[in-house]
Amino acid sequence: MATAQQAPAKPMAQRIPGEKSYLPALVLVAGWLIPGSGHLLLGKWVRALLLFGSVLGMYLIGLGLLGKVYTPNLSDILATLGFLGQLGMGLLYFIARWFGLGATSMVNTLSDYGTKFLIVAGLLNIISAVDAHSLANGRKAS
Amino acid sequence: MLTHFSAAVLFAFFASVVFGITQRSQPRKMFHFGAYCFVLFVGGVIAASWLMWAIKH
Repeated sequence: MATAQQAPAKPMAQRIPGEKSYLPALVLVAGWLIPGSGHLLLGKWVRALLLFGSVLGMYLIGLGLLGKVYTPNLSDILATLGFLGQLGMGLLYFIARWFGLGATSMVNTLSDYGTKFLIVAGLLNIISAVDAHSLANGRKAS
Repeated sequence: MLTHFSAAVLFAFFASVVFGITQRSQPRKMFHFGAYCFVLFVGGVIAASWLMWAIKH
């Protein structure tokens, strides 16, 4: 009869929810500024590449279709919402503003599509950054 | 130059990639959920297009 007891399984290296650390905040901000960089900091480079490619792809298509790049405008609620959505792109938004990319107004139907591409690129980037934050603080398993 | 449909397909592809990665935990489930979202996006576009055609005619 075997009397030797098995050693208890070694717990997996996983962050404890609620544990104090700067890592979750760091990956959240990094993931917002540069799409996919939050996942890259966590060592998930395949996901990082796919997220970066997706957000960048939507950004480039949006600019190619002459989408409107919104500026802060508190007098127009739709413009404000568009601005907040596009701000989600992080550095890509500021690059578009600094270099005067995109359009200042929607000139045709495809330009309207381009504007939606730019807004959704920002929203998808926010989802990606929050996902990286959830991975870093242990709320999402893997 | 993108057509309306090709723009919609690219939109569906990129959004599905992000949804798949962020809404599931395992790579296999990520792929399945991403493919599911893509089919729903493109299927919705085609269904809405036929609906608009039917309304017009």
